[in-house]
Amino acid sequence: MSNNFFEVKNVDFKVGGKTKVANVSFAIENEGDVICLLGPSGIGKTTILRTIAGLEKIKKGSIELKGSILSSEKKNLEPEDRNISLAFQENSLFPHYTVEKNILLGAERNKGKKDHQVSLQEIIELLDISLILNKYPHEISAGEAQRASLARSLVTQPDLLLLDEPLSNVDQSFKEEIQEKLKKILKSSKITTIIVTHDSYEAFYLGSKCGIILNQELKQFDDPYNVYHLPNSIEVVNFLNRGTLIPAEVTSPKSLENKDLGTITGNFIKPFPIGSKVKLLVQPEDLHHDDKSNLKFEVVDRKFRGTNFIYTLKTPSNTLIPVFVHSHHIHQHEIDEKFGIKRPIHIDHIVCF
Amino acid sequence: MFRNFNVWFLSSLLISIFVSIPILTVFTSFFEDTSNYYQILKDTFLFEYISNSFVLLFCVLIFTFLIGTGSAYLVSFFEFPLSNFFKWALILSFAVPPYIYAYSLTAFFENYGTAFTILKNLFGDGNYNNNIPKFDGMFGAILSISFSLYAYVYILARASFLYQSQNLIDLGKNLGFSKFKSFYKIILPAARPAIVAGLSLVAMETLAEFGAVDFFSINTLTTGIYNSWITFDDLAFANRISSFLLLFIFSLFIIENLSRKKAKYHFNTRGGLKQKEKIKLYGSRSFLAFTFCFSIFFLSFLFPLSQMLYWTIKFPENLFDMQITNLLLNTLYLVLLSSLVLIFFSLISNYGNRVSKNKTLNTLSTLSISGYAIPGVILAIAFITFIAWFDDSIVKYLGFTSIKKIFIGSILGLVLVYFIRFYSLAFNGIKSGYEKINISVDESAYLLGYSKRKTFMNIHIPFLRNSLLFIIILVSLEIIRELPITLILRPFNFETFATTAYISASEDLLEAAAVPSLFLILIASLFIIISSKYILRENNE
Repeated sequence: MSNNFFEVKNVDFKVGGKTKVANVSFAIENEGDVICLLGPSGIGKTTILRTIAGLEKIKKGSIELKGSILSSEKKNLEPEDRNISLAFQENSLFPHYTVEKNILLGAERNKGKKDHQVSLQEIIELLDISLILNKYPHEISAGEAQRASLARSLVTQPDLLLLDEPLSNVDQSFKEEIQEKLKKILKSSKITTIIVTHDSYEAFYLGSKCGIILNQELKQFDDPYNVYHLPNSIEVVNFLNRGTLIPAEVTSPKSLENKDLGTITGNFIKPFPIGSKVKLLVQPEDLHHDDKSNLKFEVVDRKFRGTNFIYTLKTPSNTLIPVFVHSHHIHQHEIDEKFGIKRPIHIDHIVCF
Repeated sequence: MFRNFNVWFLSSLLISIFVSIPILTVFTSFFEDTSNYYQILKDTFLFEYISNSFVLLFCVLIFTFLIGTGSAYLVSFFEFPLSNFFKWALILSFAVPPYIYAYSLTAFFENYGTAFTILKNLFGDGNYNNNIPKFDGMFGAILSISFSLYAYVYILARASFLYQSQNLIDLGKNLGFSKFKSFYKIILPAARPAIVAGLSLVAMETLAEFGAVDFFSINTLTTGIYNSWITFDDLAFANRISSFLLLFIFSLFIIENLSRKKAKYHFNTRGGLKQKEKIKLYGSRSFLAFTFCFSIFFLSFLFPLSQMLYWTIKFPENLFDMQITNLLLNTLYLVLLSSLVLIFFSLISNYGNRVSKNKTLNTLSTLSISGYAIPGVILAIAFITFIAWFDDSIVKYLGFTSIKKIFIGSILGLVLVYFIRFYSLAFNGIKSGYEKINISVDESAYLLGYSKRKTFMNIHIPFLRNSLLFIIILVSLEIIRELPITLILRPFNFETFATTAYISASEDLLEAAAVPSLFLILIASLFIIISSKYILRENNE
């Protein structure tokens, strides 16, 4: 047995006999930690949560919580016997009970188990559902139902809380506020949580660690900074849609050469022999704009993102490169105009494949 | 197959197998030897049986389509005097089974019947019999069945019309369609699945109809099955005709499904689509709409009701001769017992399907609910065939006493066959209730620490309460009206309103048939009125 609070070891997650994600291993070291599983829709994230909750069985590997095996090839603890709560993505409130009664049913499970670290009232207030307590599930919106369902899961004070796309139905304008509140509740209640989402910003904000699931595999399980800046595979780069891979040749332990950008210096995350032909990841933050620079490329697209612009530049060898510019920059560049890149080019973390 | 094997799965499997017995019996008996009756019939009446069944079916379908869809269209889209009353009054025709309609039709138009009496009272003595049309034979059967069954089409078409949004109708206007063109180009095609579903029910009931066709002496496949058993004691041949009839009924379903291909007809009114407003009719249009609906209401309900009431008042001695209390108690006893058995096992079966998520079980359930498509006569005879086979081949072989008396001519046998016949009503009713409960609701309950039994008792039952009540009423209504199964399988000297009416009518004592018929209509009407809210709403779903 390991010392981790929760651990998944070499599990094939299947649904209806079909493997969704294979040979998955990851661990949550401490009680109260929050991790996020990130991946495109339909990849099997929900299957992972359902299996951990005991709603699907496994035939390979094991799932352990607090040193006890929950699922393995030989053992499968029934869902009602695991103290694990799952907030479903779709409305799973009991349709014949009011929202309040639904939440109280969750509280019933927690009777006499341990002290409430966050009171029922606090949860209701934090999730802003006090006005819908007396309503029935069919009388409330999808976003409200999702928050009510979240409240029901939170009040059970489970050993492990599983949240399946918890804010997918919440209005965009309200989403950040709820994310902040959710983070606050999870922190103060010290509930160990696994959140599944396809929104990378949500995952990076809520999770102390993030798992990226792609092509039936858990590709990377690391802290958000590393997942974002140091992706470990081309698939992760493509999924996060963060930059462009350009051809380059390693010229020294601290530099490489690209036909369009010239010499690029920095620290290699993974060493490559000198002379290696590699693909260099260029992220929007890696290059800096400089009107006076003689290294100029044509603007082919410009995206306004509120706090910044992302310019897409076309190099002479037809490579498209994204460049981040603060939106308060003194002037804007139009499409077809020339756009200067500051030299020398230095990238702190050089990510190559 | 047995990955999710548990007690729920096993119960559900056993129920499905039991309900499938008649259908299997009918088809396995197909190749058994028959008596000479087969040869006689093949040379004489078999063609007549088949052609009569077709003519009856064809005419009833056209008639029910016209009056069912027409009345549904009027009450759904227009406002005219009493339109809100007709909305539910038009379903009262369910209270009048075709055989009682047939008695009323004959009683009114026969020589020296009610029509004659009315004319005599109005105009004095005269030879009116020659001038009064006779609605008997095939025409009488078509009218009786159509007026009794059109409500299937009416209810489903109306539900579908109500679901059509204002946007759809506005679209027609935008394309420059007239009201009539909008109706047949947009409204009618969009309601097609509902109308066809209603017509399928009418088709099944028509092919299964026994009382009215027997009364009018029309030889159809159903009466053929009954006669081959009663007159010639030839169960094998009865089963052979049944196979043909069942194949025909199943072909209807397949043709309907194929004809729909992949076309989608449903329009989602959620998400802000406008609800339509009814168009107020004035003048002659309002009068015509009122006349159309009132005529249907009068002919389908008021006419048979008043005819039976008239005879009950005219011959009050029948009221006292018949042991009404006994008939009432017998009917209610059957209704209550059968409803409870149906609800209990349909709940278990549905829940078993839900928790075991087994494809084989699902297929078996689909087969088992076909009981409603099988005519009562066939079910009763298949049941007798099966019990006889089981008794001869297994019970006697094992050296036990015969079990025939336990199942044939007993309340137990009767309730079991009712169970098979109406299982699909109860099963589908509960299933549609269950479809409104997302599976994640169950899973949430498990995760809150509920066992499967506790989830069933504390979450499902309270949620399904209204559906269950509605199903009990619907099943009761069917059992009160049911004739052939009760007639064939009832214990000796055990009568219901339906069997008493049938026996009196078949002895040419129509005035004596009036009392049980009147009671049957009144009790059935009461059930319909209680459940009208559900009938008119539930079918939207």
